[in-house]
Amino acid sequence: MTTTAPTAARPDIAAEFLAELRRIVGDDGLLVDRDELLVYECDGFTIEKSIPDVVVFPASTDDVVAIVKLCNQYQVPFVPRGAGTSLAGGCLPVGGGVMIALTRMKRIVEINLRDRYAVVEPGVVNLHLTQHLKGTGYHYAPDPSSQGACTIGGNFATNSGGPHTLKYGVTVNHVLGAEMVMPDGSVVNLGGKVEDVPGYDLTGLFVGNEGTFGVCTKIIVRLTRDPAAYRTMLGVFNSVQDATQTISNIIGAGIVPAALELMDQGIVGAVEAAFHFGFPLDAAAVLLIEVDGLEVAVDEEAQKIIEICRETGAREVRLANSQKERLLLWKCRKQAFGAIGRLSPSYCTQDGVVPRTKLPEVLEFITAVGLKHNIRIVNVFHAGDGNIHPILLFDERDAAQVQRVLAASDEILNKCIDLGGSVTGEHGIGVEKINFMNRLFAPADLEVMAKVRQAFNPSGLCSPKKMLPTAGACGTEQIERKTPGRRAAL
Amino acid sequence: MTAVAAAIDEFLPATQTELSRWMAENAEGTARPVYPAGGRTATEFGKPQRPPGISLCTTSLNRVIDFPARDMTITVEAGIRMDELATVLAGEGQRLPVDAPQAHRATLGGLTATNTSGSRRFGMGTMRDYVIGVSAVDSRGTMFKAGGRVVKNVAGYDLCKMLVGSLGTLAVITQLTLKLKPIPESSVLLWTTFDHLGAIEPALERLVTSAARPIALDVLDARAAAAIANEAGLALPDRRAVLCLGVEGTSREVAWQVDQLVQELGPTGPRETEVVSNTDSAKLWFALSEFQVPSDDPVTFRANLLPSRTIEFLQEAERIGCALQAHTGNGIVVGHLPDSMTTVGAAKEQLARLRERARQARGNLTVVHCDAAWKTQLPLFGDFEPSWPLMQKLKRELDPSNLLNPHLTFSAAGTS
Repeated sequence: MTTTAPTAARPDIAAEFLAELRRIVGDDGLLVDRDELLVYECDGFTIEKSIPDVVVFPASTDDVVAIVKLCNQYQVPFVPRGAGTSLAGGCLPVGGGVMIALTRMKRIVEINLRDRYAVVEPGVVNLHLTQHLKGTGYHYAPDPSSQGACTIGGNFATNSGGPHTLKYGVTVNHVLGAEMVMPDGSVVNLGGKVEDVPGYDLTGLFVGNEGTFGVCTKIIVRLTRDPAAYRTMLGVFNSVQDATQTISNIIGAGIVPAALELMDQGIVGAVEAAFHFGFPLDAAAVLLIEVDGLEVAVDEEAQKIIEICRETGAREVRLANSQKERLLLWKCRKQAFGAIGRLSPSYCTQDGVVPRTKLPEVLEFITAVGLKHNIRIVNVFHAGDGNIHPILLFDERDAAQVQRVLAASDEILNKCIDLGGSVTGEHGIGVEKINFMNRLFAPADLEVMAKVRQAFNPSGLCSPKKMLPTAGACGTEQIERKTPGRRAAL
Repeated sequence: MTAVAAAIDEFLPATQTELSRWMAENAEGTARPVYPAGGRTATEFGKPQRPPGISLCTTSLNRVIDFPARDMTITVEAGIRMDELATVLAGEGQRLPVDAPQAHRATLGGLTATNTSGSRRFGMGTMRDYVIGVSAVDSRGTMFKAGGRVVKNVAGYDLCKMLVGSLGTLAVITQLTLKLKPIPESSVLLWTTFDHLGAIEPALERLVTSAARPIALDVLDARAAAAIANEAGLALPDRRAVLCLGVEGTSREVAWQVDQLVQELGPTGPRETEVVSNTDSAKLWFALSEFQVPSDDPVTFRANLLPSRTIEFLQEAERIGCALQAHTGNGIVVGHLPDSMTTVGAAKEQLARLRERARQARGNLTVVHCDAAWKTQLPLFGDFEPSWPLMQKLKRELDPSNLLNPHLTFSAAGTS
């Protein structure tokens, strides 16, 4: 047997390989102790776990290049990771290997307001960029609920959304270019600081690649003007049906608010207990609606929305009176998942999407599924986009309940497909939904996607067994789902 | 069938299935190059050497598959003409807010494959922001799709982005699902003249933090201003450089923004200011969009630059006598070389100078249109972009026999 570093989690990673890694990143740039590696066994998706053999923390693009080349030399698989807030197992190190954690590459390299871009390293936390821009009149628009923790590199890899993507678009609509360390260790610049770079839109194609096309080491993002004014409303409804019908009517009237979120009674109760906003506990659902834009325009738009809410049976529409109240409302929404612990020992959330007019139907279906499987389901989601997040509550110590949760989840996602939707609006495929790819796409579709990956990642060493059911060089084996688990905030 | 396929020079499939079957037969049989065509508004682009092949015309694929207006999405076949699409959408008070020149000929598939856009791109984005689902047929006849019919979706690789702007070199786009926007209540253009192009720079800097939110930020040199005013049939001041701002929204917010913009621009020294609204604004939007269409100009080029470097590029190009339109907020310039440029040598020399300017502005310059005989000497595809080798790999994977638009694949370094 080859002599391995005594601390290595797996003896088949040669000592020589580890020593070379150490030379690249230094002693404080790598983890090999099993106890330390445990932190990296999963991301926000905790159902499946896989421990990397080693985690490295490169400080520069050169470090990443050296690491990737070394992995190629030793034929060791590698997977990039940001903050690990992914909810689909996108940075799960399937089969072990090297995890490249990009959290130390967190410099904001350049801000250029005149040309409306920023250049950031992948480890920059989403919210930090917007905080950095405070006072300039500009911000970075994508705002996933985990924005206080998630990194822009991770957002790039998963094409992250967020509440305000309804009006402003998702990550791909805000990325101009990227520096990639390709799976063979070469460095390629995609796009640029300018628009319409001649040739294929590789930037667009690479956003959402879930780490399967290489390691992103720099991102050029578009900056967006701050809205001059906001109006934030809370519509209170006696039935979920009325609330979803209201969403459909708002969009149907050609109004695209900045954000349009639904919370049902179950989640409102938990949020109220946690944050004491003053939500009505007897309401079946509330809609959190925000319009933004010019001061001269927001009142008119808000008024139209209030009228639609009333027409569809809102028993009350409240307008946030101050910026403080607005921020508290958003805190309640963005940290809703943190409040779920009050409801249940474990939970599992899904990320389906349906055409917005189908929201009443899918919500009704979710209720029925909950009753059928005797699983309590609460809802908090990006209603304006048709992006549902049913949260299934259970106790993971009860194996029968766990099976019912899995069955209910599958039924909900299949319903989304049947209604003309998708199984993921913003969390990604990762390993979690890989089994759904065959239902969502025909073999020919997947074959073309496989060819695209083949063009960029022919060896399959980079993020093996992700995204496509045929992933990885070794065949079609998939990780079996055993237990649904707790998820991080989204 | 193969023999029949080989004998015709144009094929007009009636259905997507027929198109796919024909492509498969072609690939397995004579394997002739395939030139996808929509409204034939952009067929001139690319290298002059075109191996003989078949023109694959998508114009019969023009059905509306599904228009759930209340979802603000539409699924249509790619051969639908842009004016027809606009009419269908307007019936529900909606639109695709990407400017489409030659809308009476251009097809949605063509607009997508060429990633065409216009002045509204500053505020409304480009095709990549609206295509949420795509069906296409590759060179072997495999019909595939990506994305879907919902506005938010991250399942699978985003092949929509891959195909937008791919110039028909990777697959033939047969069907698209689009995200839509409501038609705004009011649409107004503010036409402001300045003494010269350089005098507009302070105004552009001022606009970086404007209280208004214009959706178009065009700069025109005097030649372009005259051409555009003429095309629009409007009596606008057109003897100087023009800053043309577009504002859309409710009547109230548009009126407020126009006042605000006039006020903000005041100290930057404009000469004449015209507010173009109602039907006149539609005419002006139309003319702004049509300006990019090559006519009998010797060369039409396109440059992409840092927005802050646009004015200096325009000044250089103006000295050569070009007619110029810049979407300055995006750093996109469309230029037509003057008729006086009668030799390829002269055109080459001037384009080299402009290319150098574009390079300095972190950008590139491509030739959209020129005399076929000039093509071998002009920089059709612009400077070498560092990601071209990757693009070539992608092309080889999806079209290994190089059957689709072989004259449009990026050569190693364009033309020097």
